[in-house]
This record gives sequence, structure tokens and C-alpha cells, in this order.
Amino acid sequence: MKYIATVKDKEFTVNINSDGQITIDDEPYDVNFRQLLSGGVTSLLLDHRSISAVVDEHGDDWEVLIEGELYNVKVQDERSYRLGQQRSHGAGVDGEAIISSPMPGIIVAVPVKEGEQVQSGDKVVILESMKMENELRAPCDGVVTHVNVVAGASVEKDQALVTISPLED
Amino acid sequence: MLREDGLLAQRFDKLLIANRGEIAMRILRACHELGIRTVAVYSDADRNAPHVRFADEAYYIGPPPARESYLIAEKILEVARESGAEAIHPGYGFLSERAEFAQACVDAGIVFVGPPARAIATMGDKLVARSTAIAAGVPVVPGTQPGLSDEEMAAAAIEMGFPVLVKAAAGGGGKGMRPVHRAEDLADAFSAARREALAAFGDDTVYIEKMITESRHIEIQLLADVYGNTIYLGERECSLQRRHQKLIEESPSFVVDEDLRRRMGEVAVAAAKAVDYVNAGTIEFLVDRDRNFYFLEMNTRLQVEHPVTELVTGTDIVQEQLRVARGRRLRLQQEDVRIQGWAIECRINAEDPYNNYMPSTGAITSIQLPTGPGVRVDTGVVSGSEISPYYDSMISKLICYGETRAEVVMRMRRALEEYRIMGVKTNIPFHQHMMDSHRFLSGQFDTKFVEDRFTMDDRDAPHTMEAALLAVLAAHERSQRAGQIVAPGERDTSNWKWYSRWERLRR
Repeated sequence: MKYIATVKDKEFTVNINSDGQITIDDEPYDVNFRQLLSGGVTSLLLDHRSISAVVDEHGDDWEVLIEGELYNVKVQDERSYRLGQQRSHGAGVDGEAIISSPMPGIIVAVPVKEGEQVQSGDKVVILESMKMENELRAPCDGVVTHVNVVAGASVEKDQALVTISPLED
Repeated sequence: MLREDGLLAQRFDKLLIANRGEIAMRILRACHELGIRTVAVYSDADRNAPHVRFADEAYYIGPPPARESYLIAEKILEVARESGAEAIHPGYGFLSERAEFAQACVDAGIVFVGPPARAIATMGDKLVARSTAIAAGVPVVPGTQPGLSDEEMAAAAIEMGFPVLVKAAAGGGGKGMRPVHRAEDLADAFSAARREALAAFGDDTVYIEKMITESRHIEIQLLADVYGNTIYLGERECSLQRRHQKLIEESPSFVVDEDLRRRMGEVAVAAAKAVDYVNAGTIEFLVDRDRNFYFLEMNTRLQVEHPVTELVTGTDIVQEQLRVARGRRLRLQQEDVRIQGWAIECRINAEDPYNNYMPSTGAITSIQLPTGPGVRVDTGVVSGSEISPYYDSMISKLICYGETRAEVVMRMRRALEEYRIMGVKTNIPFHQHMMDSHRFLSGQFDTKFVEDRFTMDDRDAPHTMEAALLAVLAAHERSQRAGQIVAPGERDTSNWKWYSRWERLRR
């Protein structure tokens, strides 16, 4: 089985053959892997190097915690990886950025209006949660095309708040 | 003993903890060690919280938002009456610095484990606190009077020179506080500080203070009994903050020598005596580059970071609080206080250091605490705990102790690696990065260091490939398990054969 694992912008091709031999980017490794019974605790001996990690699954996305650092890993088999590649090339990305609520909370202020131009890093929503005001900022330059909330509104996690479209030139 | 300034000190055998999270656990432990029976309170969000299970009794007090539960004094007092609790420990935050609440406890014949109501009121109003400190001969930072108009405050700011701090008179913990570097930003700062102050404290009075740049935040821990004994338990270095929220504290501070410790300690004792202070309290100072120190404020409660002081002085501050509240004498005199070794505390917050420290909510799916020599963890969460948006994002405190600072830093690195929390993002990588930073190791930082000169961008995630491999292996095992059910033809060998090979590989 060939898998493609993506961590941020890095890709690793991991091949597990039917004898359980493993290569990473065509390099063979001596791999001894155990999933312990509880809490996603795993033990990996990679060429006898002992790595203890916690692994949590979320569909094809995996969270791996090693020595305090959390890695988000997307794991695809070869077929779904190719399909994904085609899709992103075929459809083209329209670049619209949706700023959604990272957690439930109350909107303190929306300092932008529909039609307003914003620059990357501009404050677009101030969200109060966990007793702190959190500033949500524009991820790119563009025009605010939708504002879905007003000050005082309660919002849920992942609720779309503001949409920004890149400038057409 | 009942005093006219709102202090009641007498023996009690049952105590209500008007708090939640790690501090509720801390107080519960102290009570159990002293044989005091305990009463917990909980909101809807906390029915499954450890403090409910740890207490002898627990009472429901309302919906998750604090202002509908933990902040309602009448409900807490009602539970005290119903349960027969003879004392209330408020912890920190919530009702801990509300003079009316302290007075209401005393009026109901209940011991408030804290200072007299009048001392809370005096020190809780920053402006009154300032004038009290000045009268007691304590140096303060230059600033304005209360009740000035925006125009008058702006004029004062220009006169004292930027940068300045806009502060809420009722503020604390950085809420209602805004730094301003240019006159044109004052109006925004006034409105933001007022909005936060009104929401957090119900009072939107603000004033201006000169901002001492390149300063450190160093505080003195005090203990006082009802017999007029007031002692200081050394200092805590709390300069590593972000948006005025402390992140790492240590004791002692390497800029404080024996002489400065004594001078700061004596001034702190004088400030406490000026308000007839009783119980545990903290005087916060700003210390500038030339080691001049200025009174900032007094926290009239137990502090989050009290454990570092406990470790270097060998005291149990919470037990001491309970003894004092029972009308007993302090067990220590000033000359008994010795600072020995070094302690560092890292506040573990549910927030993402790689994404502007955005709070992270959700269920903790698994948790493994660090342990071993010199490691203490004060935590209020367990595996399965829900991190809700209703309360503070601080979920635990990791405290390490050792003989020297260098030893403690190495120990903290080791403990941070051991600490595993899954389900929510935490700021553990922030602490690891700080422990690796040259500036931290050499002690060259001030209160602006985290915000202005510290970045996570240069942190290497050293185990990317291993993480990728682990995820693949876990995914592969999952698909093999599934494959046995839905797609047996997927592999060219039988599952059993494959499994035995896999087993062989494991050996």
C-alpha cells in the first residue's frame, strides 16, 4: 500500500509492502510500531530510535503529538491523493476567504462593512470568548463581500462570519 | 474575632469553595490535609469536573456563564447556609476581590478566607490604592487622578509623554488596560478599556499611568495574621506575559538580590499594614532597568502563581490562609523565611501558539501528566474534560523545582515533553520554545518580551517525518481492520498471513 502523508507543506510517500516492509520516500526503514490500549498512545521504534507519541484520528486527518509538538497529518492512499490533485487543478481556486469563528463566543465588534477594501492583517471581527477579546484578522488583501454577523451576536464554532474576495485587477 | 472593618476570624470545620478548575482542586487538597470538610459548587458546564468529585458535597448553582453562576454572591451564600459551611474560600477571579461579597459573608456569620472587606475595597480601587500607597511611603508610577474627562486625560498623557497605559480603576488581570503610543490612538483606547471594564467589573472609570518601558513585573508574596504579624515570602518574577496575562513565573528573580528583596519586602509589608491587611496577599511592583521599583497594585487574594513561592520557601500558602482565617497565628516569623532553590511555573493554556494564541475549545481526549523528581502539576482537568468557552483558558500549571535555575530549566524542558494533552491545542510548544530561547536562559527579558521580540515562526518542528509515518501506520492499521470486513480481496495474501507477518515484524 502506498500512502501520501501531508504535514503542512511537506509530503512524504510511505510504502508498506505486503511483507510489512516500509519505505519513506523510497528509503527503507526498520519500523516497529505498537498502538497501546488506551488514549491513542503509540510506540514507534524507527531504526531502534524510540519515539513515543499520541495519535488521534479524525477521518483522513490525524493529530500526532510528539514531545509537546502537535502535528496535523493528512493521510491519503495513492488513488484519493491523485483524485484530490485533479480536483484542485481542474476546478481552480477562486481564492475567496471565509473568516469563521474558531470557537463559540460573542461578537464584540465588526470593524468592516460590506464593500470595504481590507489588507491582510486588518482586524475584521472582534470575538469575545474565554473572557478575552480575540481579534480575527483578514488572511489576504481583498474586498469584504459578506458580513454575516453584528455586534452582540452569539456565534457557534466554525460559523462563517465575514467573507473576503480578492481584488480583481 | 470580629472586626469593624469586615474581618471575621474563628474556627471552622466545613468550608465552601466558591470556585472551579485547578484552584478549586488546590483548595480542596489543603482542606483535606487539615481535616476540613468541603463543599463544592458547580455550573451546568462543570457537573463532570474533578472538583465536584473531589469535594465532600457539591451543589448546583446555575448555567455555564459565570455571571449566572459563580459570580452570583446570593447563590453562593445560599449554598453555604444550606450545606452548613462555616467558611468560604473564593480562590482567585470570580468573587475573590469583591468587598461586598466579603462583607456579606461576615454579615451572615461566615468566615471569608481572605482579607477584611475594607482592605479589599481600598486596594481594589486602583486610585485609592495609589494614594494609600503614597501615604505609606511606597513609591508609585506617575499617573492621573480619577474622574478626568477624555480631554484632560489626553492632555495629561501628552504632558507625561508617551507611551502611557489607559487603565480601568476597577481593573485587574490586564482587563480594561490598553497601552497607547500615540495621541491619536487615545480615543480608541478609552472606549476599548471602558467597554472591557464595564463588562468585566461593572465600572467603566479609567485613568492614565506613565508606561515604564523595559520594566520587569516582580511581586512580593505576603502573609498576615490577625495579631499584626505580617511577613514577606520573597518575590516572584512575572515579566513573561502576553496581553497582561502572565505565562511563566519564577522565584526567586535573578535581578533581585538580598538587599533589594529586603527593601521591596519591607515596603510591601508597610503597604499591607496601611490597610490592616490579614491573610495572603501580593504587592505587584514594576522594576526598571536601574532596579528602582514602583507599586503597581495589591492583589487581595491567593495568586495563580503561588506554588513557586511555596516551593522555594517550603510553605503551604493555602493551608496558612486557612489557619489565619481560623484565627491562628502565622507559624513563621520573618527571620524564619529562607529562599532555597529555584522554581518555575508554566501556565498551560488551551490556546494555539501557532495561530495568534487563539483559544481552543473542545473535549480533552487524553491526558498524561508529567511526573518524577521536582515536578508538580496543579490541574483542574482530566481525560474527558470539556474545555468550554465560558471560563479562562488556563487548564493547568506545571511547576518545576530544583537547586539552580539552570537545573530547573532542564527539568521543565523534560516535563513539557512528557506532558501530553490531546483534543485541544495547548501552549506547550510556546513554553518549550521559551525554555530553548537564549534570552530566557540568560534572563534578559522584560514585560514586553513575549509580545515584541518573541516569535514561534523560528521554531522547527523536529519530528515531521516521524509524525507522518505514525499517522500512516495508524491509518494503515485502521484500513487493515476495516479491510477484513469490507474488502478481503484488497490484499494478495490472507489477513491472517499478513497479521502474522506484522506480528513478526513487531518482535
